[in-house]
Amino acid sequence: MTTDLGFWTLQTLNALQLSMLLFLLSIGLTVIFGLMHFVNLAHGALYALGAYIAASVASVAGFWAAIIIAPLGVALTGVLLYGGLIQRMRKSGPMAQVLVTFGLIFALLDLTRILWGDLALAMDTPALLSGQVNLLGVTYPTYRLFIILLGGVIFTALALTLARTQIGAMIRAGVDNDSMAACLGINVERLFFVVFCVGCALAGLAGAVAAPLLSVTPGMGLQILIPTLIVIVIGGLGSLKGAIAGSLIYGFVQTFGAVLAPQLASVLIYALLAAVLVIKPVGLFPAKG
Amino acid sequence: MFRHTPLRYAALVLLIGAALTQTFTAGYFGLEILIEILILGMLVLALDLVAGFGGMVSLCHGALMGVGAYAFVTLNVLVGLDPWLSTLAAVAVTAGIAWVIGAICARSHGIYFIMATLAFGQMGYSYIFESPLFGGDDGMGGIDRFDLTSIGLDLNDSKTFALFCLAVLIAVYLFAAAILKSGLGRSLIGVMHNEKRMKALGQNTWRVKADVFGLSGIIAGIAGVLAAQHILFISPGMLAWTVSGEALVVVILGGLGTLVGPLIGAAFFVVLKHQVSEVTSHWHLVVGVVLIAVVMSRANGIFGWIEARYGAWIDRRLTDSTRTETPEEILTDA
Repeated sequence: MTTDLGFWTLQTLNALQLSMLLFLLSIGLTVIFGLMHFVNLAHGALYALGAYIAASVASVAGFWAAIIIAPLGVALTGVLLYGGLIQRMRKSGPMAQVLVTFGLIFALLDLTRILWGDLALAMDTPALLSGQVNLLGVTYPTYRLFIILLGGVIFTALALTLARTQIGAMIRAGVDNDSMAACLGINVERLFFVVFCVGCALAGLAGAVAAPLLSVTPGMGLQILIPTLIVIVIGGLGSLKGAIAGSLIYGFVQTFGAVLAPQLASVLIYALLAAVLVIKPVGLFPAKG
Repeated sequence: MFRHTPLRYAALVLLIGAALTQTFTAGYFGLEILIEILILGMLVLALDLVAGFGGMVSLCHGALMGVGAYAFVTLNVLVGLDPWLSTLAAVAVTAGIAWVIGAICARSHGIYFIMATLAFGQMGYSYIFESPLFGGDDGMGGIDRFDLTSIGLDLNDSKTFALFCLAVLIAVYLFAAAILKSGLGRSLIGVMHNEKRMKALGQNTWRVKADVFGLSGIIAGIAGVLAAQHILFISPGMLAWTVSGEALVVVILGGLGTLVGPLIGAAFFVVLKHQVSEVTSHWHLVVGVVLIAVVMSRANGIFGWIEARYGAWIDRRLTDSTRTETPEEILTDA
């Protein structure tokens, strides 16, 4: 099995697909943390919300409408959360923020159950992406390739925005030293708000594209939270490079661990996280040295 | 440093009185709830010890409790060791693991500490979940409670078991209070307030943190053994991070760093959970909203709020020169 080239290709694609899904989630979380020093544990709940909105919209208006409306809907929820809670918690310590967002997880979990019920929802892949393609000698579902591609596109777009545009420079300045950036005339508070909304939208997008792959359940936000946190802690908080590196490490360790050493797979990633924290307590590529 | 104010004594007496009243008046269901509160009380004492007095916000205490339960059941049921010996060994194993986790994580702070402990907790959860040796996701049963018939106690009776748990909880509380009043406890509080200064004073700060984390593991282990004997069944779910998260919620609801508060929080949390569950299946929503309200109110939980009110009241009563301590000082000392 392991000598077959097709096997390696297939698992690499699987690993990439998982990595990209995690990247969409972790980038929002990590930049929100880097810029606002805000620990938003409810990020996973926003992802679940995105999946639910997508599944509902898809059943009426189709897949493509769903993956546009879901991020917008989640971003709107983000606006409400920002105005209601997060703005007020900005000056509190990390402990209070962790707890408030922990309470939000509980509340959002039950709200989705009240609105959509306990049963798992299903979402169909669109006709355009539902087939399989031959790639390097393996047949692979087109939809999973689409996720890899989407992740790649978003990564490139974010990398270019951060590196080449003015707003990117402002965000980098804010992450590096927010009070200095504010002194230079950057409206850091509004920048926070924009970044927070974009992060929420990306979480919603992740939920929407994950919905056809996984069944949509109230608990999916909790399930994805731990992998996302592992990604950003391995990668280092606040940086795009860290988010992509952490996602790839998680995706590959998890996928190849599961097929090569099934006994160790589940423990492996946590052991890796513990090792990273011991050797480099701030992660591999933190935004600030 | 930690001090037993008259208010704390009063709260403790009230709590013990309420527990005793409940033991002798409640039916079977009421006793089950009481036992649940008492065992959760031990877990949150362990957590308050490290989080409230050492600034080590741990998300692996649920897992530590699970380790205690699994070690006990493995030794007692699978190996067939004497139950008391199994308990001793299980508590020692839990404390050892806790010490190692504490030692490794001692260098991390804030969110990184939370994440590191979360990683260790989830590592234990995944291991137990997948391991055929410990029953995997089926869990393990066949557990017996301690045999105390030689002194005329039958622990299979809920009332007796509740009294037994209450006695253990009191012992655990005294143990935690003794740690905090010892030199080690004072060093720990010093490390929480200013680690650099404690280092400059010659303290081996990581050692202080690891030692207290280990001692806290003893308490979590005891809670685990009793939890196993309470439900007579253990499953990997005991180690899940949500258990640790809930324990943290309880500590915050009750009052971080007051030792008495988390006990009130445990009673409040379990009763609220059962009351709300009777009315609606959406008790998570209620708990979430209560948690957000408590944190946003900026009071230090239920007991912290009472202490602040009491302090303000005392302050109004005694504005003469005999007072040397302001209520703020009492709070920051705590």
